[in-house]
Amino acid sequence: MSSLEAILRELRRAAARARAARYAIHGLVGAVAWIAAVLLVARLVPFERRAEVAAIGIPVAAVLIVIAWSLRRPSATVLMALADIRLGLKERLSTAWERRAEAGPMDGALRQDAMRHAAGAQLVSAFPVRVNRGEASLVAVLAIFALGLAVLPNPMDQVLAQRQADRASQARAAKAVLDAQKKVAAGKASPKDPQVEKILQDTQAKIREADSPRKALESITPAEQQLQRLTDPGTPALNSSAQNLANALSGTAAGRAAAQAISGSPARGAQSVRDLASQLQNLSPQDRQELAKALARASQQAQNSQMRDSLSKASSSLQSGDTSAAAQSLNDVASQLDSLQAQENTDEAVASAINGLEAARQELAAQADRDASGRGAQANPSASPSASGSSSASGNGNGNGTANGNGNGTGTGTGTGNGNGGSGGTGGTGSQGSGSGSGTGAAGTERVYVPGQPVPGQSENDPTPLGPGQDVPLSPYTQVIQAYQQAALDATDQSLIPGSERDLVRQYFSQLGEQSQGAR
Amino acid sequence: MIAEEPRIDATRVTELAQALEAELARLIVGQKELVRDTVIALIAGGHVLLEGVPGLGKTVLVRSLGQVLSMSFARVQFTPDLMPADIVGTNVIGETDGHREFRYQAGPIFANLVLADEINRATPKTQSALLEAMQERTVTVGTQTRPLPSPFFVLATQNPIELEGTYPLPEAQLDRFFFKVLVPFPTEHDLLEIARRTTGESTPQLKAVADAGAVLAAQRIAREVPIAEHVLAYAARLIGATHPDRTELDSVRRYVRWGASPRGMQTLVLGGKVRALLEGRYNVAFDDLNAVARPALRHRIFLQFEAEADGITTDRLIGELLEHTVKEPARD
Repeated sequence: MSSLEAILRELRRAAARARAARYAIHGLVGAVAWIAAVLLVARLVPFERRAEVAAIGIPVAAVLIVIAWSLRRPSATVLMALADIRLGLKERLSTAWERRAEAGPMDGALRQDAMRHAAGAQLVSAFPVRVNRGEASLVAVLAIFALGLAVLPNPMDQVLAQRQADRASQARAAKAVLDAQKKVAAGKASPKDPQVEKILQDTQAKIREADSPRKALESITPAEQQLQRLTDPGTPALNSSAQNLANALSGTAAGRAAAQAISGSPARGAQSVRDLASQLQNLSPQDRQELAKALARASQQAQNSQMRDSLSKASSSLQSGDTSAAAQSLNDVASQLDSLQAQENTDEAVASAINGLEAARQELAAQADRDASGRGAQANPSASPSASGSSSASGNGNGNGTANGNGNGTGTGTGTGNGNGGSGGTGGTGSQGSGSGSGTGAAGTERVYVPGQPVPGQSENDPTPLGPGQDVPLSPYTQVIQAYQQAALDATDQSLIPGSERDLVRQYFSQLGEQSQGAR
Repeated sequence: MIAEEPRIDATRVTELAQALEAELARLIVGQKELVRDTVIALIAGGHVLLEGVPGLGKTVLVRSLGQVLSMSFARVQFTPDLMPADIVGTNVIGETDGHREFRYQAGPIFANLVLADEINRATPKTQSALLEAMQERTVTVGTQTRPLPSPFFVLATQNPIELEGTYPLPEAQLDRFFFKVLVPFPTEHDLLEIARRTTGESTPQLKAVADAGAVLAAQRIAREVPIAEHVLAYAARLIGATHPDRTELDSVRRYVRWGASPRGMQTLVLGGKVRALLEGRYNVAFDDLNAVARPALRHRIFLQFEAEADGITTDRLIGELLEHTVKEPARD
């Protein structure tokens, strides 16, 4: 050995090798313990991506070990001292190293003595590459433990699968709402489209962010209520008035074209009425008289007060020969028809939106049902947004009747239906609908409502808004209890209510039935 | 690396010690540890308290040491009526040419090698006179302070039995002794050898193998022996661990009343240095400290009464300390 530095270099290499082996085992213990801990935790709580989290422990442990290995390198003094102790050099090396720069009386002899003894020793054996048996056993035990945890069935897998299915369901529901939003955007322009789209957008976000389908469901009803508040309750009355005007004008020579246009659409009707107003001066007195009568008849049948007033003024002006005043009144009527068109467009957008929300509700409800029955993990790949709902149509016919109908069904498409019975309008055609009503529903545009929470002040079985001056229809309790019971039981069958709760509902209505029989 | 030659010939110390031990071994049978510890103390310049039952050769050892070292030797038999003046000397009236005057009559302490036999039989006043001289290496009589010869080496003996009529040395005075060496009973083999050597026609006559100069040179050389910091730290840990308020050993906390003084640390290191030289090394090793720990510390650790009741000795506690005190350096 040429010098103390050479001795130190050899000791450093040997120590680095020995420490590398020791730290490698430390790292192995850490990595395997981490994996075992992750797998153990994954058995106690739902833990997604546990494989990735467990696997990340390996590089992390390796990096930590390398850092620790490089940071905790022993100093030269320590190396020399350890070599002294382990090689039995009686502190020669460490003392010589410590006094390597000293020039005391004995330092030279000390250095020579140290190097002589170091030359006779196997320096490498001071730092043998040795694996701690305890640590190796620990690695083996932990590895077996981790393997067992990885191989044996994990009860949390089902929970995770359920979560995944929940998320997929929520994504599908949100997609249904998004589709509805696109549909609204692509449909006829309405002044309330931005509000509808905002409501749908918010609902979509809430559905996506909800913790579970059940929570997501809670965001749908308020959205539907918000949408329903956007509709104008006076639209049916205005619509009825417009149809009555069309009926009245159809019998006149001058107003036939306008009647056809009004039957086609309020917007075209408005234009046609304006044309009629501009041509009043050119009409023969007989035609004017005929038109005045038709307008008077339409005025009498009009449920909308403004329409009634305008028609009445037009009629009286024509009869008095004041064509300019009549033209002005007819222009007012045209404006009201424009307003009707705008309201119908809004209603159509609301209907589309509600249909989309309802599709989302069905998707979420189905998943929530599966969750509740413990089958939440079963995927429902075939699920697709389906429209359902109850349709109600109202219209005033000659008999001044009101048609009410409920319907449930699934389907897609655009269509028109009758006011009687369940019918689907925009957004779907209901099937297996049932309804009852009287009168002639001369609905030019059917509006489709889906069952939901009643708006404040509105009964669930009375979705049709009442016109001005109409009395609230009253039915005896004994006549409606059966329908209520059926509706409630149907609802419980379709919703998330557990069996015991369904029994409770059934029991409630059976008690009410007994009371009603007793009352009779 | 350029070959370096030591500027001090440390081998002279080794040779001196070997010569002393070899010569003493001609008369002293066995007791190698006793002889080694005595030689270490001699080279370290410290005093030794020998403790053993009568007849084990304590006095023979000291007397023999006086023979192998061509230095002045004095023996003082300590008895209860021994006065300080009997040791340090006194002023006496003398007459010179008809003229009377006080003249200092030096006591037996004015020798290189002093044997204080059965030191615990003298009164504390006399003991302290000796011990003061041991510490200061000077004697003050009247108003004059006189230096003692150099080297000055006191070997005191005491008997652990027959304690009636004795005056145990106070702790502070015990601390003045470099080593306290226990003289063990010889083995059967040694007993036979003793009988053979001492009951024949003639006993071996020892010859002087060193003089005061050699001893003083050896003392200077011994102090030059380097000691590594971590070895020194070990010595400090060892001394600290003898104190009940600093140790981690339950037995020390329970049985020790007071631990070793800083002088104990000095003794440990200096004794270690001499031993290293005697072992042919130029540095102090842990083994050197461990080897001198018992004679250096056994009279500096003071036990509780409970220790005596439980039969616990300082040697046993020192053994535990040596076993539990960490030698390996911290991995900084």
